[in-house]
Amino acid sequence: MTRYLLAAAGAVALMLIAAVVIFFFTPTDALQGPVQRIFYVHVSSAIAAFASFLVVAIGGAIYLWRESMVADRLARSAALTGVVLTTVTLVMGMMWAKPIWGAFWTWDARLTSTLVLWIIYAGYLLVRRLAVPGRQAARFAAVVGIFGFVDVPIVYFSVTWWRTQHPGPVIATDALPPEMLFTFLFTMACTLVLAGVMIAVRYRIEALQDAQPQGHFVLQAAGRPTT
Amino acid sequence: MSAILAAGITHWFGSEPALEGVDLVVERGEHVAVLGENGAGKTTLLRILATALEPSAGGLEIFGLNAHREKRRLRTRIGYLPHQTGVYPALTAAENLKFFCDLRGVDKARVAEMLDFTSLTHVAHRRAGELSRGMQQRLAIARAIIHDPLLLILDEPDASLDAGAHELLERVMGKRTVVFATHDQALATRLGQRTVQLRRGHVMGTGSRLHVVR
Amino acid sequence: MRHVTIALAVARKDLLSEWRSRELVPALAQFLVLALVIANFGFSINSDNAQAIVPGVLWLALVFAALVGFGRAFAAEKEQATLEAMLLTSAAPAAIFAGKAIAATLLLVLCEAVLLPALALFFGTPLTFVLAAAVLLATIGMAALGCLFAAMVAQLRAREVLLPLLTLPLWIPFIVAGGQAVQVMMGAEGTFDQALRLLIAFDILFVVLTSLAARFVLDE
Repeated sequence: MTRYLLAAAGAVALMLIAAVVIFFFTPTDALQGPVQRIFYVHVSSAIAAFASFLVVAIGGAIYLWRESMVADRLARSAALTGVVLTTVTLVMGMMWAKPIWGAFWTWDARLTSTLVLWIIYAGYLLVRRLAVPGRQAARFAAVVGIFGFVDVPIVYFSVTWWRTQHPGPVIATDALPPEMLFTFLFTMACTLVLAGVMIAVRYRIEALQDAQPQGHFVLQAAGRPTT
Repeated sequence: MSAILAAGITHWFGSEPALEGVDLVVERGEHVAVLGENGAGKTTLLRILATALEPSAGGLEIFGLNAHREKRRLRTRIGYLPHQTGVYPALTAAENLKFFCDLRGVDKARVAEMLDFTSLTHVAHRRAGELSRGMQQRLAIARAIIHDPLLLILDEPDASLDAGAHELLERVMGKRTVVFATHDQALATRLGQRTVQLRRGHVMGTGSRLHVVR
Repeated sequence: MRHVTIALAVARKDLLSEWRSRELVPALAQFLVLALVIANFGFSINSDNAQAIVPGVLWLALVFAALVGFGRAFAAEKEQATLEAMLLTSAAPAAIFAGKAIAATLLLVLCEAVLLPALALFFGTPLTFVLAAAVLLATIGMAALGCLFAAMVAQLRAREVLLPLLTLPLWIPFIVAGGQAVQVMMGAEGTFDQALRLLIAFDILFVVLTSLAARFVLDE
C-alpha cells in the first residue's frame, strides 16, 4: 500500500517540478507568447496517451492469444489512464487553439483522430462495464481496443489525405531552441512516469477487485476429480 | 471411462454465485435427472455441460476431452435442448432442420427421419412460428438429436409437451448418455436412473453414485 | 470448403427469413426516403447548394439505416435464442459471421437501390456508375465492422445505445473516402480514382481483420 502511495506522491512531485520548469526556467515564445507553454504538457500527455493505448492494444492481443489475466488487467488500467490523458490533451489543445487559431476546434487530421481515439476508448470502458465480468468483458474489450488502435491511424491518414492544418512536428525538424527542448523532454519524461504510476495503481485496484468472487475466473486444467 | 467428469464447477453471474463447487460424474449410457427449485442453478449447470458457458472455475472433462480446449470437437458429440426452443419463426419446420444439417455437415436425409421421429411430418412445410408451443418443442428436440449425439443435455424437455411426450423422450434418450433438468419428480424417476438435487448452486445429494457436497 | 457451405447456408437462411417476413428492408427503405424529406426541410436544399449538401445527406442517411440493419441481424438471433443454437453446432464462428455479414450487406444494398434513385429524383443527383461503386465499396467494409460489433452488443445490455458508439468512429475512413468520391462526382475538385482505391484497401483490411476477430466475439 505505502509503495503505491510513495509512487503516486513521487509522480505528483515530478509534475510540480515540471510546472516550475515550464513557467520559470523556460523562455517565452517570441511569436505565440505565454500560451506556447501549454505545448509542453499538451504534447507530453498526447504521447503518454498514445503509449497507454499501445499498451491496451498489445495487452488485448496477448489476452486473446493466451487468455492472460495480467495482460487483460494491464489493458484495462491503461485504457482508463489513456482516456484521462487524452482528455487532458484535448482540453489543453483547445485552450491553446483559441488564441492562436481563433477557434477551439478545427477538423484537421490530428484533432479528428485524437477525438476519435477518445470516443473509441470511452466505448472500450463502456463495453467493460456492460459485458459479463470475466472472459466476455475481457474478450470484447480486447477486440474494441485492437480495432480502435488499427483504425485511428487510418482516420488520421484519410483526413490528411482530405485536408489538414495542424502545426507540423517541431521536434524532429530541430526547430525548438535547446532550453525549450529540454523543458519538453523533461515534461514528457515526468508525464510518462505519471502515466506509468497511474496504470500501476489502477492495476492494483483491478487486481483487488478480481480477487473478489465476482470477477474471478480461473479455469483449472480439467484433471480428474479427486473424490 | 466416464462420460462426464466435473470437479468443483463454480459459476458467478456478477457477484451472485449460481453454482458453487459442483462435482458430478456421469457414466456412459446413464440418464441423470437434475432436480431443483427455480434459481437453483439447473440451467447454468446444463449450459456448462453443453459447452455453451464456460464455468468461472472448476474442471470439466467430457468423453475424456477437456471441455475448455476441445470445445469444438465435443460439440459434434453433444446435443443440447435449451430452455428457449430457439427456432426460426419464418422458416418451415423442415427448413429449420435442413439449416442445422448444413451447419453440422449432416446428410439431409436426416431431416425427414427426424420429422418422422418427432411426429412432425404433417407440419413439415408450415412455418415454425405458426406451430404450437408443444410442436416447437418437438422441433427443438429434433434439432438437438439431428447429428445423432452421444451425450444429450435437455433443459426441461417435457415443457409444454402433451401426454405422448414421455414416450417420445424415452425414445430420444435411448442408449445415449443424458443429463436432463425437470421440475417433475415423476418424470425424473421414470426417465432418470438417478437424480441430482440442486439447491442454491450446491448439490444436495441423493442418488447412488453421487460424488458431492461441501 | 465446409466454411463456404456454412456461410452460404447462413446467408441463405437470413435472406429467406427476410423475404418471408419482410420486416426490415421495406421499413429501412422507407426510413431512407423519409431521411431525404427531412434533410430537404432541415437544409432547405435547392439547386445552388445541393452539390455541397447532398453527399452529406446520403452518407448520414445510409449510416443510420446501416446501424439499424446490422444491429437487427444479430439482435434477432439473440432474441430467438438461435445464436447459441448456431454456435453450438461446431460450425466455425468466422463462417457463421461471414454468412450473417453477407446477408446483411445484401439487404442494405437493396435499401441503397431505393436510396440512390430517390436522391436522383429529389435532388437531381446524377445516377452514375462511380456513385454506385463508391456506395457499394463503402457498404462492404462498413458491413464487416458493423456486423462484428452488432454481434458483440447483441450479447450485452444496452445494445441499441452501444452499437453506434462503437461503430461510427470506425466507419469514419469509409465516410471520408466515400464522401470524397461522391463530392467529386457532383462537381467538386479532385479525382475519385484515388477515393475508390482507398475504399478497396479499407475493405480488404477490415474484412480480413473482422473475420479474424469473429471467433473472439461469437464464441463464449
